[in-house]
Amino acid sequence: MDTKSFIQKRFSEFYREKASDIEAPRLIEQREFGFLLFKGNVMVRHKSFGTVEALRSFVKQIVPAHAYYSTAYYEAPEEKMENKGWLGADLYFDIDADHIPTECGKIHDRWKCKTCGFTGKGVTPETCPMCGGKTFENKTWPCEVCLESAKSEMVKLVDILVEEFGFSPDEVEVSFSGHRGYHVHVENEVVKELDSVARKEIVDYITGVGLEAALHGVGTRSHVTSSGSSGRGFDNIGWRGRISRGAYKVLSAATEEDLKNLGLKEKAVEKILSNKELILKTWERSGPWQPIGGLSKDALQAIINRAVQNESAKIDTVVTTDIHRLIRLPNSLHGKTGWLKVVFPTSEIERFDPLKNAVAFKKGEAKVYVDEAPRFRLGEELFGPFKHEKVELPMAAAVFLLCKGAAELVE
Amino acid sequence: MVLTRFDLAKYPFVLDAAEEVRRLDLDIGNLENPALKAILDRAENRIEEALRNSPPEVSYRPREEDVEIPSFPVAVILAAASGNDYIKRRYALAEAIRAYKLLQDEDEKKVLEIAKVFNWNIQNVKKIIGHRRYDFALSFTDFLRNAKLFHEMEWKLVNRMLVKGKVYLRQREAARLLQEEIRRRIEERLRSDVRSMLPEPVLRRIDDLKRKYASRIAKAQFQDFPRQVVNEAFPPCIRMLYDAAKSGQHVSHLGRFTLTSFLINIGMKPEKVVDLFRSSSDFNVRIARYQVEHIAGQRGSRTRYKPPRCETLKTHGLCPGPDDLCKTIRRPLSYYGKKTRTLKKEVSAN
Ligand code: SF4
Ligand SMILES: [Zn+2]
Ligand SMILES: [Zn+2]
Repeated sequence: MDTKSFIQKRFSEFYREKASDIEAPRLIEQREFGFLLFKGNVMVRHKSFGTVEALRSFVKQIVPAHAYYSTAYYEAPEEKMENKGWLGADLYFDIDADHIPTECGKIHDRWKCKTCGFTGKGVTPETCPMCGGKTFENKTWPCEVCLESAKSEMVKLVDILVEEFGFSPDEVEVSFSGHRGYHVHVENEVVKELDSVARKEIVDYITGVGLEAALHGVGTRSHVTSSGSSGRGFDNIGWRGRISRGAYKVLSAATEEDLKNLGLKEKAVEKILSNKELILKTWERSGPWQPIGGLSKDALQAIINRAVQNESAKIDTVVTTDIHRLIRLPNSLHGKTGWLKVVFPTSEIERFDPLKNAVAFKKGEAKVYVDEAPRFRLGEELFGPFKHEKVELPMAAAVFLLCKGAAELVE
Repeated sequence: MVLTRFDLAKYPFVLDAAEEVRRLDLDIGNLENPALKAILDRAENRIEEALRNSPPEVSYRPREEDVEIPSFPVAVILAAASGNDYIKRRYALAEAIRAYKLLQDEDEKKVLEIAKVFNWNIQNVKKIIGHRRYDFALSFTDFLRNAKLFHEMEWKLVNRMLVKGKVYLRQREAARLLQEEIRRRIEERLRSDVRSMLPEPVLRRIDDLKRKYASRIAKAQFQDFPRQVVNEAFPPCIRMLYDAAKSGQHVSHLGRFTLTSFLINIGMKPEKVVDLFRSSSDFNVRIARYQVEHIAGQRGSRTRYKPPRCETLKTHGLCPGPDDLCKTIRRPLSYYGKKTRTLKKEVSAN
């Protein structure tokens, strides 16, 4: 049996038993569904289902490598795009390690330009530095460190959605994508009809794009108000509070090296470091709104820029502004890992362990020949690193390596 | 709080227009009745003020409720009957600006009352945060619907105080957003075709007005597009034609006309447009130049042609399928206008 048929067989067994875990999205009859088939990498789109039973039996029958549905609601989901009749769409966010630069990413992620063959490590660039090409082949790894950093971006995002946008934590549904990231889904009547331009404004808010510190009080005179404490802005909700708290965090943790990395000159760095305690004291009283002795206007701006960068959440901007987007179906299998897309409550974010909670295959073993794989964990068990070797692994680990294309099946 | 007749004269758009016309027995066919002359005169005058004043603005006349209130719905009927997009847009804007100015100094309770007419989720707040004082808290969706096309950085959501779903605003800002809402609502009302229902003398008034301001209307057709051609802002139909022409593929006559008139109207030099067709197999410089200059209004009829409406393009198979922005417009040029404005905002935001 070849590797692909083997994976498909495991997926098939899984769905025979667990397709019943797939739940109907709200207003299922208004959603478009799409499935990527194992065979020929074909995408079956424009499907629609009246009931969740119909959806489940379809999944059982075709056994897709990936299963999706639309964030959008349509009058006629099965029609061609221009005739579907768009009725609105949920607000959706995607946080993927692909967009977050990490140290380990430089080791385990690779890309190759499809046009000229140039290769590199870490985050895939938008255009090839060699030829300007825009399409790449990637080899990425869902490593634990990267997943953790994606999670902390999600925590920031959820905080912004609840504190600033005012969604209740129950309206905000979070999930693990089944590969390298997390999704955040808001179903709410008031956001349903927002167009892409309005959604872009939400994206810019979350990513801090276009933020002008002056409009949040930086450089303004009358920053200390009669009520006293609000002058410093620590407890303000919104970007004013984030700037104030974030700048404080940046400065109090700053080493000489950090400050240099902000682009500050040696002299300026020296001055800040020797006045650090004093500056922080002043900030505790009246916030980072003015340059003060030892901290020039430019240095303040540099610290605030870094604070904005730290406090913003690194979401995939395209996903949120696309009001016809197909998103992964919860409790379906991800064809690149054999892991599940798992929805969980926001209160569980801290405790959620993707490498345990998303494991689908819990029975049996398989023998595989691993080309190359870094050390990885699934559940409580550690595997690898492997290089050019034949090993017998528990099914979840074997399917994972096969799906990632890091291993071949051994008969 | 209830709005008084004094308030209604300031904000006549909050009334159901049809209701108001009925109440006064102002049936449309009866508009030439001399008893109603004052109302009709003021209605016409409202539109004229919109066309004459720059920036457009309708005047406010206190203590004339009996004319001020009914003249608004009548003016809406007249503007709609003009059938001219420029007059309609200009009139809606002028009424909205009038309201904006009045709302800035209005009693806060009344501002709320008017916002509620448009189903805004808005409250009074009295807050000073940092260095700023705020008067209102508006739901971010109502905010975005109205502010998303403003260019200034202070209108970007990221630069606003956003707390628990509410954007904090000063009264002037709330009034500015209401202006936008009012403009849109009036423009919606202006869409209906009422011409056939109006008596001859009334129609004559509209046509006279059109004639009087003909040069202004004509000039306004040259919308203020960016000085440089922004290829990324082409609608799908133009994009398709442009690529086809560039790669020397056959482009139908209407296709050429559409592409040429589009490019000329957004400010591309005629020579450049001629160059675009160079790779086509049947290219002939002389003929191409003649055609382009003709469309540009440098020859023959001296009128500058505009690209056909979406409807026409669709029936001739030149619309490759509308995208989201297409759904908000009726002609490719408006698409370009809107898109360049959003792109500009994005660039300044980066
Ligand atoms: S809808 Fe209009 S603007 Fe959009 S592609 Fe078709 S013709 Fe062009
Ligand atoms: Zn390349
Ligand atoms: Zn990593």
